[in-house]
Amino acid sequence: MSSASATLATLDPAAPSGAAGSASAPGEAGTPPRSARRRLPWGTATIWVVLGLLIIAPVGSFLLLATSPRLFQQGSQYFTLHYVAQALSGSTGRGLLNSLWVSGLVALLSTSLATLVAWLVQRTNVYGRRVWGLLMWVLLLVPTWMMTLGWGDLLQPYGAATIAGVTTQWLYGEFFGPLGIVVVLTTAALPFAYFIVSAGLHGLGSEFEDAARIHGATRWRTLRTVLPIIAPALWSAIAIGFAETMSDFGVAFTLGYHAHFPMATYTLFAAISNFPANFSVAAVIAVILIVSTIPPIVIQARATRRRSYAVLSGRTRTPRRREFRPVARIAVTLGLAGLFVLALGAPIIGALGGSFVRNLGIYAVGGVHLTTAAYGAILHPTIADKSIGAPLLLSNQLGVVVATATGVLAYVLGRRLAVARGGWSQRITDVFLLGTVAIPGVVLGVGYIFFYNMGFVTSHFLNLYQTLPLLMLAQTANALPGQTRFVAGPLGQVQPSLSEAARVHGAGRWRTWRSAQLPLVARVLVWGWLLTFTKTIAELAIAQVLYPPSQEPVSVTIQAYLGNYQLSTGTAMTVLTLVEMLGVIGLVLGLFRLLTPRGWRRIGWSGVRS
Amino acid sequence: MTTHPMTSAATHAVTTPTASAVAVTALRKEFGEKVALDDVSLEVEAGTFLVLLGPSGSGKTTLLRCLAGIERPSAGRITIDGRPVVDGRTFVPPERRDLAMVFQDYALWPHLTVAKNVAFPLATSSRGRDERAHRVSDLLERVGIAHLADRFPNELSGGEQQRVALARALAADVGLVLFDEPLSNLDADRRELLRIEIATLTRAAGVTAVYITHDQSEAFALADRVGVLNHGRLVQVGTPEEIYRQPASAFVARFTGLAGDFPVELVEADGDDRFRVTLPFAPDHPVGAHAVAPLAPGDELRLFVRGAAVALHPATHDAGLPGLVRDVAFTGRGYEHVVDVGAEEALTKVFSTHRYDRLSTVRVTLDPAACFVMRAQARKGGRP
Repeated sequence: MSSASATLATLDPAAPSGAAGSASAPGEAGTPPRSARRRLPWGTATIWVVLGLLIIAPVGSFLLLATSPRLFQQGSQYFTLHYVAQALSGSTGRGLLNSLWVSGLVALLSTSLATLVAWLVQRTNVYGRRVWGLLMWVLLLVPTWMMTLGWGDLLQPYGAATIAGVTTQWLYGEFFGPLGIVVVLTTAALPFAYFIVSAGLHGLGSEFEDAARIHGATRWRTLRTVLPIIAPALWSAIAIGFAETMSDFGVAFTLGYHAHFPMATYTLFAAISNFPANFSVAAVIAVILIVSTIPPIVIQARATRRRSYAVLSGRTRTPRRREFRPVARIAVTLGLAGLFVLALGAPIIGALGGSFVRNLGIYAVGGVHLTTAAYGAILHPTIADKSIGAPLLLSNQLGVVVATATGVLAYVLGRRLAVARGGWSQRITDVFLLGTVAIPGVVLGVGYIFFYNMGFVTSHFLNLYQTLPLLMLAQTANALPGQTRFVAGPLGQVQPSLSEAARVHGAGRWRTWRSAQLPLVARVLVWGWLLTFTKTIAELAIAQVLYPPSQEPVSVTIQAYLGNYQLSTGTAMTVLTLVEMLGVIGLVLGLFRLLTPRGWRRIGWSGVRS
Repeated sequence: MTTHPMTSAATHAVTTPTASAVAVTALRKEFGEKVALDDVSLEVEAGTFLVLLGPSGSGKTTLLRCLAGIERPSAGRITIDGRPVVDGRTFVPPERRDLAMVFQDYALWPHLTVAKNVAFPLATSSRGRDERAHRVSDLLERVGIAHLADRFPNELSGGEQQRVALARALAADVGLVLFDEPLSNLDADRRELLRIEIATLTRAAGVTAVYITHDQSEAFALADRVGVLNHGRLVQVGTPEEIYRQPASAFVARFTGLAGDFPVELVEADGDDRFRVTLPFAPDHPVGAHAVAPLAPGDELRLFVRGAAVALHPATHDAGLPGLVRDVAFTGRGYEHVVDVGAEEALTKVFSTHRYDRLSTVRVTLDPAACFVMRAQARKGGRP
């Protein structure tokens, strides 16, 4: 008997209080604890088999090639650094160096800019605050190759700007170089940084600023005092900006290639697409790409794990907005508008204008001529032209399948990550998904080519090489880590007591999920689906290396047009693809609004707590 | 204090479900290495309002969650109305235990209106649609928030959310309602008001209630019986009066409210359980006290003094310990004093209708009926 029970046993029997624990002897508690009876971890095993097939096997085996080509019959050595030296020299070496400094610069620029925009939108009375937030979403959805195309069309000597009589030749040369690359990649990284910093600012009540000011701090000192509180958000933004830029393929494939400014993702692609293909050099580049993203991600993970976001509490007051005077308010609003014109407006106007220019970029007697011929060519193609119909339909089918599969898998994994008392499996999954966010799509694509084309795999396991299912698998693997992290946060915000309350009040598992779980996360699931759907339609890196013959996704078809110098046609196809993507977003959000109960739509992903 | 309409309405219960008896035997719950519940056995008679009282980490929430079926015990047995819900391999999930619960954070579904939150437990009942709607409006009427039926939870104040949670728990017509520190998120005024409402409504509903709190005044005000938990063990169960007057241990005595506790020496026995003891800092002023457990010669002893035992007198009073008022606080109905009675010893929360100013000298008398002497216990795992 325990000491407390023993203490009670010495009480005078006359004592009126009932002694607790008196009804049991220690031996009666001998039933084996249920938790001690280990259940087979089928769920965990299934998840790791799926992750193994999707990510670990293709990427792992590909990366091993960097130093051990003989393992996969790609060379004669079991261990060699020959390909490392090869990858670090010449054009590939320059590509790596270029990627590193561009990524560092872009991460800093995008975080600084995003912090300014987030502060203006969240903490001031600048006009159109909802519009700027919405435009960030649009910016997030537009792939970098589309931006590059738009900018190119705008600045072409005989391009869209020429329609308005603006000479841009002086800028065109600058754009096709490091400047253009940094501008496009900074605008691409901006929304990631904006959403992360906004989340940090959102939870930062104005008490901290008030306290600093009350205790005599100047505005500048107040800023220096308050900014470190959201340091984890800033670090996260820098890390994500760096990783996104390192792994970007769209700019490297279009702008970088044409500007003779090699970047790592393109040199990797070139290593396997040139003849003879050199998978080992590609593997070395892949390893360096992945390793380079580890330090910022580790810093970000450490910063966020220290719970520095815990400025959120029930007592945090809604931050007070800084009231600009009318003139300043208009000036700041115009400044924001200018930013979005630069980031989004210019490429869209460029692409739109360029799609109506006959012989875009080519000198013609009598100047620039406007025509709808490019749209006619893709909507009613001749034998020489390719229709937009089949590639766009295929990309939409891919988008639906990949977004749905990713959504289901991300939900399952996100739930595991959101569990408060996760064990080793949760921790490993967490670290794994954090690490795999940084795997560039082109690495995954080349890994799939390598792994799923190995004789052992095709003859004994899965013969998917050069099929659509393989492309779907690779795109699902590409979207899964990011999507999981996207939904894990909101899933973790749902108070467990809401489901517990449903169970206690008579709901079974299914009804609990349907009535007390799904409504709270439906919005984030729909946005996650849309994000993956649109990213899949516009995805270039994996599509470029894995599309089956005669089944081109629309992004590949567009690149084919651009590669053949049919710029107007490629641009027109890009415009229609973008319009279709935005149409699907509008349709899905409209259906969500129409079909879901009012209460579901009240829940934002930061407002799940009742 | 104003009386809320529901207090009077609650006196006529609409339904009287059969209250459930609960029996817990040798319950144990481990979280990895940590033992949250250890050999807990407990019986709750049908219709009883049991309050589980204990400090943070004592295991009271874990015990409640095991009763609810949210946590699966590592070992032990739980029966509700004689039906085993936890026993060896048997584990009945929460939705099949026929109970209801008021959560600490209320756990109102933010996407459902107040009426739909309250109607949730009725979805599986055999009542028709009209009957369910009537039941919901009746419950909302009883808790005084009928006018908020179409609001969403985030449009309500803390007190109103609490009432929704209470209405939802009572909607289900179950025999057992669990309360997980439901008042801890409210301010003092609302807490008092809602405490009364919970007590009256729950009793009017005729259900068995198991309620957890760390606030002894809340526990004594609500409970038919109180169970005190410490370090995962149930250390005493009794009526509030028994717990207060005859604590089973120094921990229970301290946790249920003391004005002071001091080492003492035994002078003489005044009867079977009555003794005279002396305080080291006032050897010339022996104090009367009673023992709640047998004492043996040579025991190290301590005197535990309830607030109700202490009376303050002017310094000219001819009896009592000399004291010096260190602090005084106005409480509305009188004054609470902190009185130094030795170099480092003090009595706290000493009530008097008369104000004694700071640094004034006083005399302190102790009522033997509210002073008890116990063997000193080693401070094991915190306060003994």
